[in-house]
Amino acid sequence: MRRHPTGKTLGRLLVGGYIVIYLIFVLFPILWLLLGSLKSRYESLLMPPRIIFEPTFLAYEKLLFGGLLHTFGNSITIALINVLLALVFGVPAAYALSRMRGSVRKNVSFWILSIRMAPAFGVVLPIFVFMRSLNLLDTITAVIIAHLTINLPLAIWLLLGYFDELPQDIEDAALIDGANHLQVLWRVLLPVSRPMLIAVALLVFVFSWNEFLFAFILTSSEAQTVPALIASLAGTMNFDWPLMSAISVSALLPAFLVVFFAQRHITEGLTLGAVR
Amino acid sequence: MAYHPSKRHPIRRLARFPIGFLLPAVLVLAAIVLFPTLYLLWLSVRHWIVFQPQQYFTGLGNFIALFRSSAFWESLRVTGSYLLLTSLLSFAFGLGLAISLSKAIFARGVVRALIILPLLVPPVVAGFAWKFLLNREIGLVGGYLFPALGITVSLLAHPTLALVSIVIADIWSKTSFMFLILLAALQSIPVELYEAARIDGAGARQEFLYITLPLLVPAIIIGLIFRAIDAINTFDLIFVMTQGGPGTATQTLSIFGWKTAFTYFDLGRGAAIAVVMMVLAVITTLFLTKRLQR
Repeated sequence: MRRHPTGKTLGRLLVGGYIVIYLIFVLFPILWLLLGSLKSRYESLLMPPRIIFEPTFLAYEKLLFGGLLHTFGNSITIALINVLLALVFGVPAAYALSRMRGSVRKNVSFWILSIRMAPAFGVVLPIFVFMRSLNLLDTITAVIIAHLTINLPLAIWLLLGYFDELPQDIEDAALIDGANHLQVLWRVLLPVSRPMLIAVALLVFVFSWNEFLFAFILTSSEAQTVPALIASLAGTMNFDWPLMSAISVSALLPAFLVVFFAQRHITEGLTLGAVR
Repeated sequence: MAYHPSKRHPIRRLARFPIGFLLPAVLVLAAIVLFPTLYLLWLSVRHWIVFQPQQYFTGLGNFIALFRSSAFWESLRVTGSYLLLTSLLSFAFGLGLAISLSKAIFARGVVRALIILPLLVPPVVAGFAWKFLLNREIGLVGGYLFPALGITVSLLAHPTLALVSIVIADIWSKTSFMFLILLAALQSIPVELYEAARIDGAGARQEFLYITLPLLVPAIIIGLIFRAIDAINTFDLIFVMTQGGPGTATQTLSIFGWKTAFTYFDLGRGAAIAVVMMVLAVITTLFLTKRLQR
């Protein structure tokens, strides 16, 4: 049976048009940010806004030499340490959970799922009080700990799902041959889990890099992260639009790298394990 | 910790699981999540304003004060409208994208990557990018396009339009989430169902209504609940764009809680707001896990 040919063409046009309009909606704000970062301060205030202008790198120079670069250092350090900690604690825990049956597994995994659902504001408020009494406010330690509250459950949840799917025959063989669980994890499981480990590492990095509320409440200057810097500049009255655009464009880099080089690996993680 | 050997693999009875595998993570989570949560509950029944010397037990005082304040109900209403608008619209757009992308189209990989991109963009940057576009003085849309069309109102300073603006930015940021969930669900529908329907003479509309949609329902529910919880918690995007303003027009529960705890320094009241948010999230989570277990 053949469909009505004109109906099909119309359908295709609608689909194509919808996607094109959506992509413009997605890309335009980013493109405009990029253009904005290449303008001079004077040019950024002109009305109507110029689309063609002589690009300048003044904003990026200000970013590099204006005493703001430490926020990037903080963000990278916090994110990398979170990747390390989430994997070191998360991998063995996920392995143990995935090979357990019964109530322990069920209760622990329900608890971990519910942590992910907890309002961040409710988590950061008590952490703020603790950090204040420990004199850890405005240190990257405080932010690292706060981010781990999200990243560790995320890592365990994703790895648990992955380990559940792996065939257990090789593990069983290794166990019969007298290997212990640590050896099985290290020699058998981890080598075949590399894609998932990469995915978890990327997601944890991106989460830490993007996170704002914890970093904003726990830091003020020394340990400020990039998102906190953007928000604090956006809150001032004296707008330096090109500088803020330049910082925003730089903050976008991990997103671009991940989406174009590792898209395949992270889909499950991006949906928080809802898709499996 | 008891280790129950599974029936499928009798061999594993030999190997007891070392508790050392699970314990470190559980201890870390207990220290950084469980303990703070309990402390939050404790805070919520305390009268404690930073920089004021007296601190005392007030029972449900914080909650009663909260439920009596119009600001609380106002922010609950704003949270509700924001939640409904953003989850339903991101669902509608996400479904459209998922259906389009489940068909063979030109450069599907690149298009998919571009659609996912906003989900990885820091929400602070998303908020700033939209603020930059919508700004009344220098924004391309708010300062040039809209005035050229005769709309001279400042978008982010108008109560209703400010809410619409943050919803648009949120849709920009989070539609990809719905898209990914729905695309995965669409791709898991067996092709045979459509073939059988076609043999029976079903048209495209019937296929959608009687095969696609019913099979998507679980994914739609999961996606909507995740989005709803996410909307309850959204802080960054709103903070950058409006800080809850103008007035309290975009003040959601998380902005209200932040203001109470960190600009009025009323930690007890702030904790009470967090507890209310937590209760909302727990109700949603229970609902979700019930659905998942079905």
